[in-house]
Amino acid sequence: MSGVAVARSSLASALTRYRRSWGLWLVLLVGPVGARFFVSRDDGSAIVIAVGDHLPVLTSAMLGVSLGIVVSTLLLPVAFLYLRANTTRTQPWQIEEVSAASRVAITLGRFGADVIVLFGVLAGLNLGGWLLGWLIIDAEPVSLWQISFALWLVAAPAVMGLAAIRQLFDALPWTRRGLGDFLYLWVWLGSIAVPAAADKMKAGFAANMFDFAGFVRPMVFAAPAGGQDFAIGGADVLPGRVALDVMAGLLSPGYAASRLAWAAIAVAVAVLAGLIYRPHRPVRAGWVSRTWTRLQARAAPPRADPQAPAAHVSRVPLTGLLRAEFALIGGARVMLVLAAAAALAGLLGDYRHVGSAAANLWLVFAMTAYAGQVEARGLRGLAMTMPLSPGLRRAAFVGAGLGWALVMALPGALWHADVARLWLALATGGVVALVAMVLSAVSGSGFAARMLLLIAWYGYLSS
Amino acid sequence: MALLRLDSVRKSYGRKVVLDAVSVEFPVGLTLLTGPSGAGKSTLLRLLATAERADRGTIYWDGVALPAARAALRATLGYAPQAVDLPEDLTAREFGRHIAALKGLDLAMSDAQFLGLADAVRLHADVNFRIASFSGGMRRRLIFVQALLGQPQLLALDEPTAELDIETARKLGALIVARAKTAAVVMTTHLADELAPHAVQVLRVDGGMVVPA
Repeated sequence: MSGVAVARSSLASALTRYRRSWGLWLVLLVGPVGARFFVSRDDGSAIVIAVGDHLPVLTSAMLGVSLGIVVSTLLLPVAFLYLRANTTRTQPWQIEEVSAASRVAITLGRFGADVIVLFGVLAGLNLGGWLLGWLIIDAEPVSLWQISFALWLVAAPAVMGLAAIRQLFDALPWTRRGLGDFLYLWVWLGSIAVPAAADKMKAGFAANMFDFAGFVRPMVFAAPAGGQDFAIGGADVLPGRVALDVMAGLLSPGYAASRLAWAAIAVAVAVLAGLIYRPHRPVRAGWVSRTWTRLQARAAPPRADPQAPAAHVSRVPLTGLLRAEFALIGGARVMLVLAAAAALAGLLGDYRHVGSAAANLWLVFAMTAYAGQVEARGLRGLAMTMPLSPGLRRAAFVGAGLGWALVMALPGALWHADVARLWLALATGGVVALVAMVLSAVSGSGFAARMLLLIAWYGYLSS
Repeated sequence: MALLRLDSVRKSYGRKVVLDAVSVEFPVGLTLLTGPSGAGKSTLLRLLATAERADRGTIYWDGVALPAARAALRATLGYAPQAVDLPEDLTAREFGRHIAALKGLDLAMSDAQFLGLADAVRLHADVNFRIASFSGGMRRRLIFVQALLGQPQLLALDEPTAELDIETARKLGALIVARAKTAAVVMTTHLADELAPHAVQVLRVDGGMVVPA
């Protein structure tokens, strides 16, 4: 089978799976519904994109740029969530990995499907942008092509890059799961921080290549003198709007070329993902893997008693459920060592920024991993037939999470005679446990909860 | 009196009627379900295990109709579906603890029982390994063991002996026959011929009907 045929087949089957999943239709609604919230409003009821503490005058190009920037900065983690959690997350790798088909072709096919889906979201957003333009632009006649041009030039390379990262992370065993989510968090933060740091560079292709999200040049190229500080997200703005010729930024030297280059890089990364693809079963475990396995290993099981009587129903089944959840969340040896380290960090360091942050990071990984396992749909079908309902187990899960949060905070609270630590631990641990429980129950996996909680954790750490 | 009784039960998926006007009783003892693939054996087991609801008709547990009797039935049910998304990162013993907690069992006793059952099905040496490292047969045995935890009065077993070597399958068969002395055991198996002498009834599921084989 030729590479082209394999790529086409991968593309077609991935698109078919997307088409049959209800999640796609939900995602396609994000654009038209969300557009209203992606354009800055004077009353502050939407995402703010401001230059020099002022909102820019809303022109067609500014509207397109606003939508594009929201996608390429704030929405990328949500899109990553969708790509990693959607129906195409399961693949018949047991068969594919022993087939003669080109891995590069398979990867490119799937990359293409992801890009088409994300472009579909952009198209929906584009339609919403047109409608919004007719409704709210009064500074000039609405130009549909300027809205589209600005939106696609900013956002399309960014979503292509995201699709490529998804393929890259799916290609390697150590980034297929939690570590990949964690790495993406830093990639995303870098994609925002690096261009903001490089905004003083002279406009040109090289400077724009630091700007994966593509938001710097349109905002600062024609900004009024002294108004080159900009804000994206939530910010207080001064009354009155400033004129900002974002088209000049979009057409500035090297900007369009850099966007094309980022699109090309995305395709290259997808090809690279195919080239470096590693099968799911490692051929031979290295020392890191062996040490990790040893750390996670449990003691040998006790001798079995063939005459062991049948277990009777506990007099306090809810206590047993709580105990079991507590043990299953953090019972592995490596998790116990890490919990002890987090407790020690709270004992010795600044609790709010060290101990609490470490404990919450532990909770994020431990709780989402366990919740994802037990909320898998097939297992939930079995759990549903048990006397204690999944709802009760989820309540016990939250209770056990609070228990772990308290256990890690307790040494520091006792040593420093500081009860406030326990309240903080309960509050943050409760949030982690609830989010992990709810999102895992809804999605049948721990991935979405882990990603969201990692972003929240970063905000907590840096606040 | 039969522990479990179906009265005019119908189950369909869309336009495909899988079970139609099924009336059958399941007394204490072993009931074997036979019939071609896709005939509805697993659907019947899912209905008995309260994993699905009938479109029409009534299921009685100990003389009380579902859904009123659902909690009572679940309190004494052992269900081994054909496939489960097992939690790959947990060890088999941890999974046993998880199931025991959901069954509301005494955790210490259920751990001892789990180890004993695991030993009986040749899984004891592996109970502290992650499920991710388990073969298909080991997973099947683990699903079987969790169903037997506690003292279920109703065991619904969907092909528990599939993917097993003949010797291990016979060990499972012996355990099932022993349990069938005190519980209603309903199962599908490719060892039907071997287990038939121990069965109180053998039923054939085909064309939406359930009839004596």
